[in-house]
Amino acid sequence: VSYLDDLSEQLSSVGVAGRQRARILAEIADHLSCDPSANLGAPDALARQFADELGTTRARHAAFTSFAALALVGMLFAAALMTFPGGVLGIPGNQPTPFAGDLGAGIMILASQVAFVAGTLAALRALHRRRDGVIARSEAVVMVRRSAVALGAGVATMVGMALVAVALRSQVAPWWPTLALVSAGVGVAALAAATPAALRAGRLRPVHAGGAGDMFDDLGPVTPGWLRGKHWTCAALTAAAVAIVVTIAGAVQADGYDGALRGILDGGACLAGFALLGRYLGLRA
Amino acid sequence: VRPESLKGHLDALILAVLASGPLHGYAIIEELKRRSGGVLALPEGTVYPALHRLEASGLLASSWEDGARRRRVYRLSAKGRRELGVRRGEWREFASVVEAVLA
Repeated sequence: VSYLDDLSEQLSSVGVAGRQRARILAEIADHLSCDPSANLGAPDALARQFADELGTTRARHAAFTSFAALALVGMLFAAALMTFPGGVLGIPGNQPTPFAGDLGAGIMILASQVAFVAGTLAALRALHRRRDGVIARSEAVVMVRRSAVALGAGVATMVGMALVAVALRSQVAPWWPTLALVSAGVGVAALAAATPAALRAGRLRPVHAGGAGDMFDDLGPVTPGWLRGKHWTCAALTAAAVAIVVTIAGAVQADGYDGALRGILDGGACLAGFALLGRYLGLRA
Repeated sequence: VRPESLKGHLDALILAVLASGPLHGYAIIEELKRRSGGVLALPEGTVYPALHRLEASGLLASSWEDGARRRRVYRLSAKGRRELGVRRGEWREFASVVEAVLA
């Protein structure tokens, strides 16, 4: 078996495939034709190095690309919510909301929070590791999962917003459903444009061993010392903070009872999200 | 110079070599050896993954060059040129601090 054949096999085994592998083999073949006695290292070690370095770069790129797309989606979402004729999530004239409108609003509220948390954590981890040539496979997996969940939740947010727009088209001024539908379309297009980066990162991962870290690696020095390692306490405090903010906002907008109800639901959703996705997204061990 | 001593500096060395003009992989390695008087004898295979990574990060651009042999030629991008400036500054600061301590 020649060096190139062996390298080709090793590259395949670590996930380097297609045009990328063909290009590497062509470059190494050129190198060997310039210097047949060149010391390029063992084929398996070289293949692993390609996977480590390219997998790391791709995971980081996926995180930053997803975050950029989500930032645009966030702006569109905020613009649509803030210009809603009845105020944020309020129906003008206290008319009954169609079921599709309630469903869309529910999807929109939950998915937007998942997208924000997953996308921000993916970008934070990528930012912390921006100067590292190689990160551990498990850490890259977490970064790509966060990006993928953020993109999926971003799409769900835009679908929810479109549902609300369609359901309420006869109850609000006609310009708002148009604005919301155009915003949802632009948002979905931005998220679709960011998806190939996440797919590429999912196909090629580093092989370097090591831990994936947890939420405290993402938050860094912001976390007080006494809270480190206490994942559920941190999640409960975050949920309580979200519940208080939502309660106050709801009380100002509607009434105290409605605000408290929204606060409890949102805080509960935070904890439920942590229970369901916390391990998958590398927030807790 | 032991290869592990170069860890962390390889990117800057590659960017510096490519600042003088586009080169293919083998020529980059030869230029690294020539400029260091043969002292920087790093494992040749390690340069290729670094080239691919630097390109994926947008610091390098590359294209095929058709001649007697089909070769991938690398050149510094505008982002790579800026990064080289940053790395040079960091290295000068690091070297002067270490020199001050060791002298």
